[in-house]
Amino acid sequence: MTFTLEQGEMLGIVGESGSGKSVTAKALMNLLPRTAEIDGRVRFDGEDVRALAAAGSRHFWGVRMTMVFQDPMTSLNPVKKCGEQIAETLRYHLGHGRVAAMKAATDLLEQVGVPEPGRRVNQYPHQLSGGLRQRVVIAMALACEPDLLIADEPTTAVDVTVQKRILDLLDSLRKERGMSMILITHDLGVARGRCDDVAVMYAGRIVERSSTETLFDRSRHPYTDALVRSIPRIEQPSHARLDPIPGRPPELIDPPVQCAFAPRCRYAQADCLESVPPTEGVGESHEFACHHPANTPRGREALANNVAAGVTAAGLQISYRKTR
Amino acid sequence: MRSLVLSRLAQLVLVLLAVTFLAFSAMNVLGDPLFNIVGPLAELDCDAVSRGEIASTSSSLDATRTDCEIVAEAKAEFRLDEPLMKRYVLWLTDSARGDFGTSFASEGVPVSDILKEKFPASIKLMIYAEVIALGLAIPLGVYGAYRANRRPDRILSVVSFGALAIPNFALGVVLLYVFGLKAGIFPSSYDSSSFRTELTSLFLPALTLGSGLAAGYQRLLRTDLVTTLQEDFVHMARAKGMTDRHIMFRHALRPSLFSVITVFGIQTGALIGGALVVEQIYLIPGVGRELVTAVVRDDFPVVLAGVTIIATAFVVINFAVDLLYGWLDPRVRAKS
Amino acid sequence: MKTLGRPFWIAVGWLMLLTVLAVFASWLPLEDPHEIGAAEARLGPSSSHLFGTDALGRDVFARTIFGARISLLVGLLAIAFGMLVGGGLGIVAGYFRGVTDQVISFCFFTLLSFPALVLALLITATIDRNQWTVSLTLGILSIASVGRLSRANTIVFAEREFVQAARVLGADSTRIITHELLPNVMIPMGALALLGMGIAIVAEGSLAFLGLSVEGDAVSWGKSIVDGSQARDLENNPNVALFPIGVMFLTVLALNYAGDRVREYFDVRETAF
Repeated sequence: MTFTLEQGEMLGIVGESGSGKSVTAKALMNLLPRTAEIDGRVRFDGEDVRALAAAGSRHFWGVRMTMVFQDPMTSLNPVKKCGEQIAETLRYHLGHGRVAAMKAATDLLEQVGVPEPGRRVNQYPHQLSGGLRQRVVIAMALACEPDLLIADEPTTAVDVTVQKRILDLLDSLRKERGMSMILITHDLGVARGRCDDVAVMYAGRIVERSSTETLFDRSRHPYTDALVRSIPRIEQPSHARLDPIPGRPPELIDPPVQCAFAPRCRYAQADCLESVPPTEGVGESHEFACHHPANTPRGREALANNVAAGVTAAGLQISYRKTR
Repeated sequence: MRSLVLSRLAQLVLVLLAVTFLAFSAMNVLGDPLFNIVGPLAELDCDAVSRGEIASTSSSLDATRTDCEIVAEAKAEFRLDEPLMKRYVLWLTDSARGDFGTSFASEGVPVSDILKEKFPASIKLMIYAEVIALGLAIPLGVYGAYRANRRPDRILSVVSFGALAIPNFALGVVLLYVFGLKAGIFPSSYDSSSFRTELTSLFLPALTLGSGLAAGYQRLLRTDLVTTLQEDFVHMARAKGMTDRHIMFRHALRPSLFSVITVFGIQTGALIGGALVVEQIYLIPGVGRELVTAVVRDDFPVVLAGVTIIATAFVVINFAVDLLYGWLDPRVRAKS
Repeated sequence: MKTLGRPFWIAVGWLMLLTVLAVFASWLPLEDPHEIGAAEARLGPSSSHLFGTDALGRDVFARTIFGARISLLVGLLAIAFGMLVGGGLGIVAGYFRGVTDQVISFCFFTLLSFPALVLALLITATIDRNQWTVSLTLGILSIASVGRLSRANTIVFAEREFVQAARVLGADSTRIITHELLPNVMIPMGALALLGMGIAIVAEGSLAFLGLSVEGDAVSWGKSIVDGSQARDLENNPNVALFPIGVMFLTVLALNYAGDRVREYFDVRETAF
C-alpha cells in the first residue's frame, strides 16, 4: 500500500474490523511488536522513519507524530493522575520542570474543552466520563504540538452524543495548528464529512484511494461501491432496505492468490480468482485495485453477466436489485 | 474508604479471637497442663487424699508442703480448676495487656521477658529475607517481561521453577555446606556483635528464606507485567514517545504489583514458618528456637504466647496489605 | 491438541519408581535402615554403600528408600484428608451459600490466619506423633486452601445449565452434589492434589527440623536430612544430608511439574488458591 499526506490535510482510512487499519497506524507509530516482519518505507518530511527508529531517535514519536487510541477507558493509565500523564510528555520531550509541565497540562485541558481543568489535572481517569477521558487523551497527544496526529477510531468507544463533539474538536484543532491528521474509522459517513482524502482498506490492502468527493461520487472498487451503498441516506424512504455486503472478510493467514474481495463481490469474474488485481493509477489522484471496476463499461458488463447467470464466478448467488 | 477499613477491622478482631481461642484450647484440651507443671504428681488423686482414703504424701524436697498442696498451688496459680471459657477470657485480657503469664519450665520468669529477648533476631532475619527477595524479584521480573518468551526469560522461568521446588531447609543445608563450611565465605553461626557481623552472618539464612519468595514474586510480576504491557495505555505511552525504561517503571510496574502485594501478605506465613526452620539450621537465637525448646519442655505459656503473637502479626500484616491496595489503585479507593 | 509432554511422563515415571521402591522396600536387598553400627560409620559413597553411611554406621541409601515410605505416605494421606474434608466443606459452602457458606468460609479464613508451620507446631507439640497423627496434622493445614478452591469451583459450576437442568428434573441436593458437581470440581482439584502432596512432603521435613516429625526410630526424609545437618557432620559427611535432599528435591519438582501440567492441560483458571 502506498499513500501520501500533505501538511494540514486529513486522510481517512476506512475499512472493516480486521482489515489492517490499526496495524497500518501502529506501523507508522513504530508500535508493532518486535516479532513483526516489517517491509517498506515511511518518509516523514523527507526523513526515513524506520531509520529514525533504528537510530533510537528519542524525540520523534510523541513530538512530531503521535496517536490517539480508540478506547479512552483503557488508554489512560488507571493509577496515574490525568495531569501527570500529560505532563510527563512535556517533561520528557521538552524538558519542562514539574510545575511548568503541570501548568501547561492545565492549559492543554482547557484548549480541548475540559471544564474545570485545574481540578481535572488532579483527578484519576476513572473519575472522568468517557468523553472527558477522550479529551484528556487528545490533550496528551497534542502536548508537544505534533505535525501529524493519527486518530484510531477516536469515537468508537464514546457515547454517540459525544462523538460529534470529539470529531469537531479534532477538526478545529487541526485547522488551528495546521496539523496533518490520519483518521481511522469504520464509519464511511464520518470520513465523508471530514476528510480531504479517503483510503479504503480491505484484507490488509488499500483497494481504493482518492479525494473524498471522487470516492463517493465515482467509486471504482466494488467494495467501496458496496460500502457507499450501505450508508443509510436521509432521502431514502424510512424503511428502505440497506444493501448489506454478503459474507465475511477473509482470513489473512495464507491467503490464496486472488482478489481478496472476489468471494463477496457481485462483479467477480474468472480472472478475479486467478490473480491479484494490480493497483491502477498509482501516484495519481484516484487509484484502485480491481479487474472490473464499478461504474465503468467493464464493470457493468461483468455485473450484467453475473446477474444473467444468477451466480458470480466465485459462486456467490446474486439477484438483480434496482439500485440508485 | 473509612467504612472499608472499619468492616475489615471488625473482621480482624473476630479472626483474632477465633485464632487465639483455637490456640488456647488446643494447648489446654489436647495437652495436659497440670502434668507439665507438676509432673507425675498430676496423677495423684487429691480428692481421695482430702477424704482421707489415701495417705497424704510429701515427695518434694520442700518438706513443708504435701504433694497435694503443691498440686493445689499449681492449679490456683495457673487457674486450672476454672472452666475453659473463663480461663480463656482471663488469659486473653492479661495477654492484651502484654502479660502472657509465667513460664512453666523456668519458674516465675514472665513469658513476655523471654520472648522480648528472642523476637529481634527473628524479625531482622525476616526483613532481610524480604529485602533480598524483592531486590531480586523486581529487577528480574521486569527483565523477564521485557524479554518475554525469549532466551533470558526462558532461563529465568526454569530457574525460578526449580527454586520453588527447593524446600527452605534443603537450601539452607546446601548453602551452609557450600558457602559456610566448605568455602568459608560467610560465618556459619549468628554473630550480633556489630551491624556488619550481623549483616554477614544473617546473609545465608536470609538468602535461604528469600530465594523461594523471590522465585514466586518474579513469576507473578513477570506474568502481570506481560499482561499490562499489552494494555492500551502502554501503547499510548509509547505513542507519546516515552522510553522503554520510563514505560516499564512509571506506567506498567505499579498496576502490575497487585498479585505480588497479595502474595506478599500470604507468603508472610510461609516466611514465618521458614524462619522457624532456618533458625534451627543456622543456630540463630530467635523465636523459632525458643518455641522449639519450649515445645520440648512442654512449656505451654511460652508456646501459646509465641503462637499468638506470630498469628496476630500475620493477620495484621494481611490487613495492612488490604489497605495497601487503596494506595496502589485509586479505583479501589473510590469504590469503598 | 494439547499434550502433557515427555517431561510430564518423566516426572510421573520418577514418582512411580519411588513409590514401587518404597512399597517393596522390605523385600529389596537393602541394609537395615535402623541397625546402629551395621557398617563402618561415616563412609563416603561406594558400590557397597551407594549413598555412604551416616555417623551411626547406617546405610544412607537404605534410609532414603525406607524414608520414602513415611514421606510419601504422609504426603498422600495429608492431601487425601485435606481433599476429603476441605473439598467436601468447599462444595457444601459453594452449593448452599448463605449462612452455611459464611460459617465455613470464616473457618477457612481462621485456619489460614495461622502461618501453616506455626499451626502444625501447635498441634504436634501437644500430641503423640506417629505417621497417622502427623499426616492428620498436615491434612488439617491443607483444608482451608483446598476448601477455598473447591468452593470457588462449585460456585462456578452450580450456575451452569446442566446443574440447573438437574434441579429442574427434580434431583435433590445430595444427588446434584455427588453426580453433577463432584465430577467437575474433581478435575481442578487433581492438579492441586499433586502440588499439595509436594507441600506436605516438605512440611514433614520442616517439622523434622523442629523436632516434631514422627517420633521414635521411624525414618523419614526430613529426619534423615536433620541427622546429617549438624555443622560438624555436614562438613565431613555431606552425603548424609545431601542425598536425601536431592531425592526430596526431585520428588517435589516432579510433583510441582506434574501438577502444573495437569492444571494447564485442563485449562483451569487459578482461583482462590
